[in-house]
Formats: sequence, C-alpha cells, structure tokens
Amino acid sequence: MGYTRKGKQFLGLETNLTDDIHSIHVSGSNLLVCSSFIYNHFYDCEDTNYYLSGEEITDVISLPAERINSFVPVLACRDRSLRVMKYSGVRYQVDVAGPPSTLHLFYGDGGSTAEYLLYGTTDAAIGCVALGRNEPTDKWTVEPSRDSSRAGVVCMDHFDMTGDGVRDLIVGRDDGSVQIFSYDDGEEVAPTLRYTYAGSETVTSVQGGHVSNSEYEEVLVTSYSGWLFGLSSEKRDRHAYEVEPGVISLSAEAKQRIYNLRAEVESLQERVSRERERYHQTTQSSLGGISAVPYISVNDRMTLSKEDASYLLTIEVQTPIDNVLLQSDVPVDLLDVEKNSAVVSYSTCDQSQTGNFLLATYRCQANTTRLEVKIRTIEGQYGRLQAYVTPRLQPKCCQVRQYQVKPLSLHMRAHRFDPNRPYNSLTLTGKFSYAEVHAWLAFCLPEVPERPPSADSATLSFVSTFLDTMLHVNYRQGQVEFKSDNISTISIIKDVLTKEATKKKIHLSINCDVNEGSVVHTLQLLHPKLDAQLQLAKKVALIGPLTELVAHEHDSGAAFLTPEYRAILQQAAQLQEQSSRQPAHLERLYGMITDLYIDKHKFQGVNVKSKVPQLLDILYNYDLGKLLAFFTQGSRQTHTPTSAPSTPAE
Amino acid sequence: MLPLFTLKLNHKLVPGLVTLGVFDGTYPCLTAATSGDKLLVHNPHERSGELGGRLQGSKVASDVSILNINQQVTSLCCGRLKKATADAGPMGDVLCVGTPSSLQVYDVANNADLFYKELPDGANSLVVGKLGDRPDPLVLVGGNCALQGFDADGSDPYWNVTGDNIRSMALIDLNQNGQNQLLVGSDDFDIRIFNDDDISAEVTETEAVTALQPLAGTRFGYALANGTVGVYDRTSRWWRIKSFDIDNDGVPELVTAWSNGKVDARSDRTGEVVFKDNFNVSVAGLTVGDYRLDGKDSLICCSVDGEVRGFSPSSGSQRAASQATDGSTIEQQTIHELSQRRQTLLLELRNYEENSRVDEAIRSSGSRQTVENVGIIPANTQLQTGLSVNMGSSTVPPHVEITLATSNDTIMRAALIFAEGIFQGESHVVHPPSAMCSNAIRVPLFPPKDVTYDLHIKALVGYVNSEHYHVFELTRQLPRFAMYALSTEQVQPPEGFVTFKLNERVQRMVMWLNQSFLLLEELAVPGDLDITMTSLRTCRPLQLQMKQSGQVTIRVDDMELAGDIIQTLTSFLKVEDLQCEADFPAELEQLEKTLSRVLEYQSVRERLTAEMADYSGIIRSLVVRAEDARLLADMKSMKRWYMELFDVNRDLISDYKIRCNNHEELMACLKQVNQTIQKAGKLRVGKPKAAVIAGCRAAFKNSNIPSLLKTIRSGEP
Repeated sequence: MGYTRKGKQFLGLETNLTDDIHSIHVSGSNLLVCSSFIYNHFYDCEDTNYYLSGEEITDVISLPAERINSFVPVLACRDRSLRVMKYSGVRYQVDVAGPPSTLHLFYGDGGSTAEYLLYGTTDAAIGCVALGRNEPTDKWTVEPSRDSSRAGVVCMDHFDMTGDGVRDLIVGRDDGSVQIFSYDDGEEVAPTLRYTYAGSETVTSVQGGHVSNSEYEEVLVTSYSGWLFGLSSEKRDRHAYEVEPGVISLSAEAKQRIYNLRAEVESLQERVSRERERYHQTTQSSLGGISAVPYISVNDRMTLSKEDASYLLTIEVQTPIDNVLLQSDVPVDLLDVEKNSAVVSYSTCDQSQTGNFLLATYRCQANTTRLEVKIRTIEGQYGRLQAYVTPRLQPKCCQVRQYQVKPLSLHMRAHRFDPNRPYNSLTLTGKFSYAEVHAWLAFCLPEVPERPPSADSATLSFVSTFLDTMLHVNYRQGQVEFKSDNISTISIIKDVLTKEATKKKIHLSINCDVNEGSVVHTLQLLHPKLDAQLQLAKKVALIGPLTELVAHEHDSGAAFLTPEYRAILQQAAQLQEQSSRQPAHLERLYGMITDLYIDKHKFQGVNVKSKVPQLLDILYNYDLGKLLAFFTQGSRQTHTPTSAPSTPAE
Repeated sequence: MLPLFTLKLNHKLVPGLVTLGVFDGTYPCLTAATSGDKLLVHNPHERSGELGGRLQGSKVASDVSILNINQQVTSLCCGRLKKATADAGPMGDVLCVGTPSSLQVYDVANNADLFYKELPDGANSLVVGKLGDRPDPLVLVGGNCALQGFDADGSDPYWNVTGDNIRSMALIDLNQNGQNQLLVGSDDFDIRIFNDDDISAEVTETEAVTALQPLAGTRFGYALANGTVGVYDRTSRWWRIKSFDIDNDGVPELVTAWSNGKVDARSDRTGEVVFKDNFNVSVAGLTVGDYRLDGKDSLICCSVDGEVRGFSPSSGSQRAASQATDGSTIEQQTIHELSQRRQTLLLELRNYEENSRVDEAIRSSGSRQTVENVGIIPANTQLQTGLSVNMGSSTVPPHVEITLATSNDTIMRAALIFAEGIFQGESHVVHPPSAMCSNAIRVPLFPPKDVTYDLHIKALVGYVNSEHYHVFELTRQLPRFAMYALSTEQVQPPEGFVTFKLNERVQRMVMWLNQSFLLLEELAVPGDLDITMTSLRTCRPLQLQMKQSGQVTIRVDDMELAGDIIQTLTSFLKVEDLQCEADFPAELEQLEKTLSRVLEYQSVRERLTAEMADYSGIIRSLVVRAEDARLLADMKSMKRWYMELFDVNRDLISDYKIRCNNHEELMACLKQVNQTIQKAGKLRVGKPKAAVIAGCRAAFKNSNIPSLLKTIRSGEP
C-alpha cells in the first residue's frame, strides 16, 4: 500500500506472498519486497523477479538506478554475505565481516561511482564495499574500539551534523547508543567516530534533519519501547535557565503538555483501578471464569561475540522488568556485564535430582527495560537455557524464552576454507535424507539456515571463535563428511550424531581418519595464545611488587629497573585491563588442551583419564616442546594416519 | 555532579583506608594507606615544614609525603582529638592509625606521636568524635568484639563489648538530643546502637556490615559485605551507599564506591541513582572535603591505583548545563516519566480488556484452543502456603518447610523465594524438571539465625508446556524462633538456666510464644506454663516455665539463645529493666579454661618479647664482629660470624612464627571472653545490663576470674 503526502492511499498491492514481509525498498517504479527467505521484485506492480534464498534475508536495497543506468538489487543475508542480484538469480556474492543486519547507500547516494554500499553487522562492525559490475572490492570496515559500544548495528543514515558541508554517518545500535561518524579523508578511508549518545533501549531507526529548530541539526531516534526523541547539536542551557535554585521556568506550551499528560494519566489510572477491581472480583468468584493474560512482547537475542568467545544474551521488554530467572540444564558460566545494575543471585541446584545446572535470578532496579547477560558455554555440552522474564505489570505474568546451547556453540560460519591444514575427517554414511542430515547440522552448529540449500548437496565452513580451528562439512543424502583440524571437534560431532541417529533408529557407518599431524598443528595454533596468556599473567603478577619497589626508592624512581620491568610498569594499566577482560581465559585453554588429549586417545581406543594430572602438571610449567612430546609419546610408532574401523552405531 | 580534578598519586592504595584530615587546621590533606605498611599524605597546598622522624619527603612527587608505620594498617581516621591549647593557633586534626595490635595517634602537623597503645583486640575500625554526654572527644576503636574509647592523653574512659568482630562504626545523633550515639556494625550481621554504655537498639541485617555512614538528621547509610547498600531512619529501614550532598538541596546523597570501580550517588530518600562514574580498578576510598580551598566541599574518590578524582556538587546553572549534556531537561524528564506511566497503565488496561475478550470467546465457543498467544488459567486459582516443621529423615536434617500449592489442576513451573540471610544468595529458586511439575512445591528452609525472616515468594503458575505463566506474589513471615519444635518426650532438663521475675500474666507469655514460635496450633495454657522444645539445629532441648506468680525459668545450655529469648520477650512485654539469676555450667567452665589460656598466652608472649630483645643484642654484636673481620680481611672468621648470624636469624624467624600463632590464639581467646561477657549482658535488660558489662570488664582487667564468674551468674559485681 502506498500513501501520498496527504495521507491518502494511492497504491495498494496484494502480493501472493504468504510470509511476513521483513524488508522493503522502492526505487523508481521498482518495488523490492523480502520475507525471511523470499525476494520479490515488482516492476510497476507486476511480479517480475523472484528468488528463493537458502539463507535468511535481513535487508534489501538497490544501487541508485538513475546514476548507474541499470537496476542492481542487493540482499543482505545472514550467512555473512551480500547477494548482488540480476533478475531472478545471483550475479555474485560478497563475503562480509559479520552477519549483515542493515544496508545503506554510502553517503546516501552511493558515493562517487554510485557503487559504494555500506553495511552494518550484528557483531557491531560497519563496512563499505564497492559493487562493481563484475566483482566487488572491499573498501573499509570499522570494528568498534575497545571502550565503545559493541552492540549490533540496527540502522544508519547520512546527514551533515557537523556543519562542515560533508555528510556524516549516523548509526543506531541495539544497546541504545547512537553514534555519529564523520568522513574526514574521503570515501576510501574509514570514517572517524565523533559523538556518541548512550541510551538505554534498542534504537530502531535514526534520521538526521532539521526538526524542531531550523538552525540546529538534529537526529531523530525511535526506540524499541516506542519513544521518539531528538538529539540536537544545540547547546541546551539557554532553554532551561533557572530563576532560583530548584525552580525551573517552563514554557507555557510545555506546561500545557505536561498538564494534558497528567490528566490523561489520571483518567487512565482511574480506569485501570476499576478494571483491576473487576479482575479481582472474578478471581474471587467461583463461576469458573478464566484469567487470560496476553503474551508480552520480548525482544531477545543471544549472539556469539567473537572477541571473547562467549554469548551475550539481551532481553528487552516494553515495560520495566521486575526479575529474570535463568535456568539451564547445561553447565554454563555467567559473567558480569558492566552496564548491569541488576542484582544477581545464584541458587544451589541439585543436578542429579532436578537436572538444573544453573539457577540464577536477576532482580532489576526500577525502570530497567533491558538486561544483558554474558554467558560462557563449553563445547560438547549441549542443552537448553531458559529465561523466565517477569515485567512489572499487573496482573503479574512471566514469559519463557528458550535458547539452545549447541554442541559446537563456539563455532561461527566462515567463508573460506584453508586446505593447507592437516585435517581429521569423519565420514558418516547411512540411510538418512538430505533434510535429516541438515537438521542434524542445525542441531550441532550455530548459524545454520533453517532450510537446506536447494541443491542436492551442500558445503558449509565454520571456524572456532576460541581456537581458530576450522570445520568443513560436505553433505548430501546418505552421506556427510566432516573435516576439522581439531580432533575434539570431530569427537563431539561423532558423539552427538551417533546419539541423534540412534534416537531415529538410523544405522550409521562411521569412518574416521585421524591425522596425527593435526594434534601438533592444533597445539601450535594454541601456542601463541597460551604463551601470550602466560606472559600476561606473569606480568600482571609482577606489577604489584614492582610498584612497591619503586615506591620504596622514591628518589630515583623507576630508573634502576631493567628496561623490561620498566616497560611492565608503564603498561601496567593496559596489562591489567587486558587480563580483566578475559577472566579464566587460561583455564579455558587448559580445558581445551585436556579435551584434545583425551579425544586424541579416544580415537585410538585408549583411556587416558588417569594421565590428565600429569598433563596439567606440564601445562602449569608450560613449554611447547614438552607438551608436544607428551602428546606424541606412546603413539610414535604409528605416524601414518590411523583409520579407525568403521563401527555401525547401535 | 561535575568532575573537578584528576591526579595520579602513583602509589597503590589499600581499599577502605582513605581519609581527609586538616592537620594544621587550615589545609586539607588526603591521607591513605599504601601497600608496604606506609601511609601517604598528599598535601597539595603547603610544603610540610620539617621532615624526619616518621615523616619522609619524597622528591618524586613534591606534595606527597610518606609515613612509615611498619605494621599492617587496618584502619585509618582523622579527627579533632587534641584539647584546645592555650596558644591561639588553629585546631588541627590528628591522624589515628589502627594496626592489628595497636593504635597510634599521630600529630602530622607537628610530626609527633600523641600516644601509642598496645591493643590486643586489634583495631578494625576507628572513629573520632564526642560520644554521649562526655565532654572530650574520644577516638573509638572497634576491634575483636571489644570497643574502646581513648582521649587525647591516651587513657581509656570507655569500654564495651559487642557480639562479634567489629567491621564499621559511625557516630550520629539519632534521637536529636544533641548527643551522639555510636553505631557499630559487626561480622554477625548486626548493627548495634550504643547510647554511651548500653545498647539502645539492635538491628539485624543479612550480611556482615562493612560500612556505616551518618546522613542528614536521623538517617544513616550502611553497606554489607554482599554489596547491599541502604538507608535507615533510626531503626527502621528506609530503603535498601557514603554521604555527600551533590544537588545542593541540603540533603546529602549516599555515595557508594564499589570494588569493581563503580561510583554512584543515590538519593537518600528513595535510593534512586542520581550520579554515576566509573574507575577502571577498585575504588580505595571516598572522602569529602574542601580540597581546592574554594570554600566548597568536593567529593574525592581514590582508586587503588592511586588515581584521585574530585567532583563538585553542581550548582543551579551548572546543573542545567550538565543535563543538557545528557540530553534531557526537567521538562523532558517529566514528560518522559508521565509517558512511561501512561504506557504502563495502557498495557495493564490492555491486559484486562484482552482478558474479558478471551473470556467471552471461550464462553461462546467452549474450548480453550480458540485463542493464541495468551496465558490462561482459571480465575479462581489460588496459591496456598503453609509453614511447618519437618523433623527430617536420615539424609535431610530437621528443618522448617514451606509448602506452596495451587488450588486446582494448574501446575507450578517454578518458585522463587527472595529472603535475605537464609540462602547463599538473596534468593532461592525451585525449578523441577518439566516432567515432575505438579501443583505443589515444598521448599526446605534452614534459617541460620534466630531472627524473623520475610519471605517474598513468587510462584509461576500455568499449565504443562505453556510459555506463559501467571506470577503469584505473596509475603510470609518466618517467626523468630521457627527452628524450635515442641517436643512431647520427656527429656533430661538442660543444666544451664536463667530465672527472673516478670509482673505479667501467664497468658501474655503464651501470646508471645504463639507469635515467636512456629507452632502447629495455638497454645493455650490454663495454669503454670511448662513446655519443652527441641532445637532443629542441634536437637538440644529448651524448656520454658512460668509460674502464676510470674517467676520465669528458661532452661537451656546455650547462653546466647537464652539471651535472645529474654531480649525478644522483654521487648514484647515492654520491660525496661530486668535482673536475673543465671548459671550455664558448660559455658562458664569453658570460659574459665579460656581465661587460664589467656594468662598462659600472655606469659608466653612476654617471654618471647624478652627473647627477641636478647636476639637483637646478639645480632648487633655479630654484625659488628663480622664487619670487623671483613675489614681485617679475615675471610674465615667473617664467614663464621655470618654463619652464626644466619642461624640467629633463622631462630628469630621461627620465634616470630610462634609469636604470630600465639597472637592469633590469644585473639581467638579474647574474642571468646568478650563474646561471653556480651552474652551475659544480654541476659539482662536496661541498667542491670550495663552494670554486668562494667563489672565483667573490671573483673577481667584485674584478672579476677571468680569475681567475673560471679558477675555473670548473679548480675552483680
């Protein structure tokens, strides 16, 4: 449906789509409409092109047709790619840094060649690509700096906010922050962050312009719970001057507004108390009425952040939250999020009797509509996390949200697959359908599309956010092949899939190729991380004693120390911050190595649980050489890849 | 609030040990304890004149001077303790430094010690000021269960005991009579209010009380080890962080600094946060003073890394400016607030409308399947609760049990119980696996202390597999002595007893019993009262007897329990003074043993101190001899002397370890003694109570054990 400026409907279009429309874009007489998986192109209201995407479509846009003399629609897809369309097919696919959530023309018009496109991702990055006729070129990406907002990008706009004649980029994020970037060095270079406004609710759209005052630039912002507000570049203290302390003069208009609002609130209050009374009566009567309370809408997300390999769960409700109960039947750790003011309390839980591994309540302070919780999962442990959200609303109700913690929860989709690593492979064959195997993958791994790709076989690549090891899957009806340089990953998949297949009574034949070199490779991959962490821990431990030493020698300062120690002192703040940002990182790495050790020997049919303390001893006095020797000892005779006998699952 | 200044001290500060003192009477100096047993005095205004003694100048930062304490600093406080002297010079503050075994009072301006006191109880907390109607200011020291007050000469006119280690203290005039009361927060979760010698009130919190801060009028703020902060008005809780006036309205705000680096200011009336700042590291301390000498007080925050930030309360015009920076004015705030209320009301209204709409729909169609996205339960669903005593089984110890049940076929998905003090956190959640959900949930409670607990229960009620549950909220109170159950068996009466006379009828006592104990049915006693209870914690008996004449006897082996019962009973009956006869053979015997151990430890300590002096003599001579030998190039004998020195050193270290252990044990014993005296005090009410404590103290000071025991038994010295 279309409306004219006066609010009259001038266009109504009935599509034959059955899904909800998620994004829409108009360019001349072209209308682009997307639901979750389907893209439709209407020209003059006639259905011209159609494309079924295997991945969820998050946004649609077209390059400015009037400038490039051709119509180029672009789809943003959840698999970290942009699809540039040509009629009903894909011209080419552009790989981007994260799952894109929104698209915007660079500078509002596509930049100098009209081919520049901006995208914002759910993991906070903003990037620019030039979509040439035949191939794309990556221009720049802005990853958020350490102390700025790391929330997903929701919306973007361009407007000259600084008054320098160059338009600025306005970005709205899902943690409530609005940022303004300015292009200082032209379009080839990433813009710089100028201003930040930190709100408390998800921003749903931003727009720059002159609204309430023609002299000052403003940004209009809408937020999740329905607020529309303006951010102005105007200095505010001119308005609310004080006549005397404590009394602030308000304009007549504002007074009237407040007065009206107050009256409205009062009449509402009255109606509500009447209704409340009635409701109470029904609860007392024995007539057998019902108490039906509509669902509250909860805006929730659980996203994997790649910096620290943990999940961020955000829960947002339109009204203030009273409390949130988190229950999990998998072992997970909750981390403190700085912004949270909610009081967290853990309950003891008896795992054997109730199956609860975590029971935690967050009691929110007044006027909190948004709660963020950081959750660390362990790969191989899977199950369900539930959040019971109770808002401060009468009659009190609570809504349950469920999140699956997948067996390979710390993996994310990758575009490329590095063929040069030593890979272990696992091949499963059996009588399963293409859809079944796809469902298994979706069960094991995050970011797997809901529906299987339309072809009869598919290939997906993943990378571990924690260890940077790769996983490569190739599957079709009756066969699936996994390749990973991390033997633990293979082991987890094997366990999970055999369990799943047994549930469905499908016989699987399993073929495992263990590459001895992969273990060494993984350890070498781990080595720099482990080494860096150990160094960091060592340095952080030295800071205290060193400062004290210097404090004793107040005359000479730090001059008598060796340069190495002086450097530690100088970087004390950064070092400490680094270590506090990654709590228990070292323990996690140790856990990974232990798993690796156990899994490696499991494939060889040896149980080495008894040797774990020995391994930990080596880890505590870390030395790569010794560790490698420990891993390879006992298997030195079998340097060639061992092939485990294929065992049908029972 | 506006940031004023930021500076780096480049020293590590110890959390909690930061204070501001006006030592020379004019210029404020920031004083803080640094790691390595030193004190740092930051004086940006004036170069301190003389150096030497404890005071050392530092060339690196010219405005920082360092005091060597050479003992671990446990508490720090500044205040006017000196008596007005004849010369007309401005009155300066003195610096009081508490260590685990001593108190030093130091005059920074003159670089001299006022006095040094050995304190076997240690000094966990210090406060300087006037207490009660005493004319001179005292420095009050809170240690191991003991409270001591010293005046400027170092004599101690004040002594008292509390129930546990003292964590925090504050002086405040709670009843507005111009006289300060002493607030004491201790490890046993209690805040006690001392009116000079006697406790005038006691409030129980849910964790160790780590900070107390007087606010305006009769209000004071407190902080607990679990991170709770709040404000009390006299003894009633106002809401549940250090005081400082930031919006210039004359009412101080409560400013809290957290170990994670957050600093926030809350309105003392509602607890709403009005200001926030963030350090990257733990905050070491907050203090308030006119640090820039501009006549206005500012808030000074110090982080453990030695970063100091100052904030000023923003005045009117500044406030408008600061609001403009966060983008909202009063006008917008009002509108925002009203709109928010409107939205909440609209949503609630929608709930009711939807409710009747769905109700209609179901009535007409007769099935539940017609509506989606609503959570439905029968309107007359009720939540029933019951408290009862469960004697436990072989695996579960006896406990109090709360039963929650719905009145129909709805199930309870989960139950949340918010009650501080009973559980590890502030809440307990029961979430059975979905296959085992039923319409009833039983929650065992193990209240650790004999206080009344408020249980705020939230039950999630719905049907199996629903995504939406109704929340039933209710509050139940657990009576104070819920962990005692009536027993019917005959038991050997406990040896310990306390007996006293009340001018009350037996019925009143029965009323009190019904209120404070968890009894299955109301107790009615026609004649003399004689009941026996069993403690669910220890399974030991407790007997309560009352004759028609008003003679009450409590037989129990636990002196503390007897004290608790007497205190609640007398406050219920509004008895102001109560004297009693008591005997607790087991505890008193224990006390006697402890006292003899105290004497033993003290003599060991003296011997060790003497030995240490001997050693230091030997060391001196050995060093001299060794150095002589070195000068004479006699390497052989030099080596020998140094070897010997090494041996002596080793002996010294091992002696030191013995000394440490000895000290620890001594502390433990003294704590026990102090606690027993306090328990003895609790058996009495009003004047007799103060008399018992004073009597015990006198007897203990003179090491007169029989007199001490007699005081505890009879209540009279």
